[in-house]
Amino acid sequence: MTEPSPSTPPSGAAARPTRVAPVPELISRPEGVGFLACVAALAVLPLVLELSAYAHNLITLALVMIAGALAWNWMGGFVGQVSFGHAAMFGIGGFVTGRLMLSLHLPGPACWLGGAIVAGVFALGAHPMLRLRGPYFSIATIGVGEASRLVFTYWERFTGGSTGLSLPIDSDAKYCLYWWALGLAGVVAAASVVIRRSSLGLKLLAIKSDVDAAADVGISATFYQDLIFALSGAVVGLAGGLYASYFSFIEPKDMFGFDRSIGFVLMAVIGGVGTPLGPVLGAVVFVLLRTYLLASYPQLYLGLYGLLLIFIILFEPLGLIGLSRRVLRRLRRRGAGTSVMP
Amino acid sequence: MLLSTRGLTKRFGGLCALDGVSLELREREILGVIGPNGAGKTTLFSLISGSQRPTSGEILLDGQRVSGLPAHRCVRAGIVRTHQIVRPFGGLTVFENVLVAAIHSRRPAASHARDRTAEVLEFVGLADRTTQYPSTLTLGGRKRLELARALSTQPRVLLLDEVIAGINPAEAMAFAALIRRVRDERAIAVVMTEHVMPAVMSLSDRVIVLDHGKQIADGTPQQVVANPHVIAAYLGTTETEAAAS
Repeated sequence: MTEPSPSTPPSGAAARPTRVAPVPELISRPEGVGFLACVAALAVLPLVLELSAYAHNLITLALVMIAGALAWNWMGGFVGQVSFGHAAMFGIGGFVTGRLMLSLHLPGPACWLGGAIVAGVFALGAHPMLRLRGPYFSIATIGVGEASRLVFTYWERFTGGSTGLSLPIDSDAKYCLYWWALGLAGVVAAASVVIRRSSLGLKLLAIKSDVDAAADVGISATFYQDLIFALSGAVVGLAGGLYASYFSFIEPKDMFGFDRSIGFVLMAVIGGVGTPLGPVLGAVVFVLLRTYLLASYPQLYLGLYGLLLIFIILFEPLGLIGLSRRVLRRLRRRGAGTSVMP
Repeated sequence: MLLSTRGLTKRFGGLCALDGVSLELREREILGVIGPNGAGKTTLFSLISGSQRPTSGEILLDGQRVSGLPAHRCVRAGIVRTHQIVRPFGGLTVFENVLVAAIHSRRPAASHARDRTAEVLEFVGLADRTTQYPSTLTLGGRKRLELARALSTQPRVLLLDEVIAGINPAEAMAFAALIRRVRDERAIAVVMTEHVMPAVMSLSDRVIVLDHGKQIADGTPQQVVANPHVIAAYLGTTETEAAAS
């Protein structure tokens, strides 16, 4: 090779003025207004409409599941570590809440907080597993989920064994839980969007696409995975606590069950894995579907979950969000041909 | 001395990938590391950048021990590497790829990170590709991106693993000029491995030669190409020469 000329590279970075991309807003004004309007509408819903107990149940359950699904998505979607063991944190949150209520008679919020903290610390215990990536991590989480189900089933003094725990029933408090669940879902949804758009979200995406390359530019994959797994576990624990309070009867088989873990995966997949708000849609669809299937086809519903999972991953990996984007794009293309819309 | 290694050794079970390598790197210097395939060049880089731990020996940056630090800490100390096979973050745009590295450098603050990202992309010649995804770039473009990502961490030592190999001759020339500008304009010391001999010989201030994990020569490019051990390592020896030595 001859002496290379000191000219500028050939890709033509000629003396064009460099435009720095503007710092993106975490939440723009229209988004914020829209979000608050949704939350407000849901907040006044039970006051304006005479909701049946059934509808009240269903919406509260959906709100709790929205929070859980969004938190699962922080790990499964943002970091790309798919967990099949989130039921462990859900169950721990629920049973710690129950025990705190029964033994110490603490007020609800204190019990939920206790459940969330224990669940978050438990999730930190997954630290050694975070060396595993992809399918290996997922398989390990199945093991942890199933092991914790067995441990808590046989730990009768704490969980009541297979007969479960009955929590104190307070119909006023139960009615108010709707707003607690709404508050939780709202905060977690806002947090999802903020995390995704912040520099933290960028780092998580970098870790998701190449752990080693992320370390080579100075990102500590271990630290961020621990952080997100603990946060995700704590929120799922909180959801478990609210769930326990609301339904006032919990048993290990249900709280720690494998189909609950699958449920978190499925909610995110139906809605759109890795999209900040897809799991909201996913959770709503999932709760309706599950209620219907459990009532109509109790023997078949796990199999139907499997089929659904296969179909979505094959045909629309970004779930409902991906589908709606596709529909919007098509509508816009059609609209652009005929109307004066830009 | 900016960077030095002392008796750096790495064993994988019974295989000794690197055997007692001691090298020194001065400020504003380009050090070439050459050697046949399997000589231990990439292992040397993995040790210096913290991706792997040495079996024995140590690495000093400015007299401070950095061996044993994990990769992300090495980056903050000022040592950064690029990969032989480029590894862009596929889900991030060109700008975000560099930004995520800039965030972590020694002087943070989000707005500075964005300015620095833009400046580095301009420097490597990708300023007009900021919103594209890495998959739309040519191999040369992706190598520039890899370089930009490394530079945005504001390193003091830049380890380039075969950046020129595999790109077309015109791009290779431009890339060589870019590496020289990294040294001259940004005052970064560069350690580079390369298979393309003319490139490494014209760029390097000094060259060390590895063979089977051992350092067999050290000196200016002219001294090294005249060294009989080096010729033997690359071309092999005839039986009579082998018997004589």
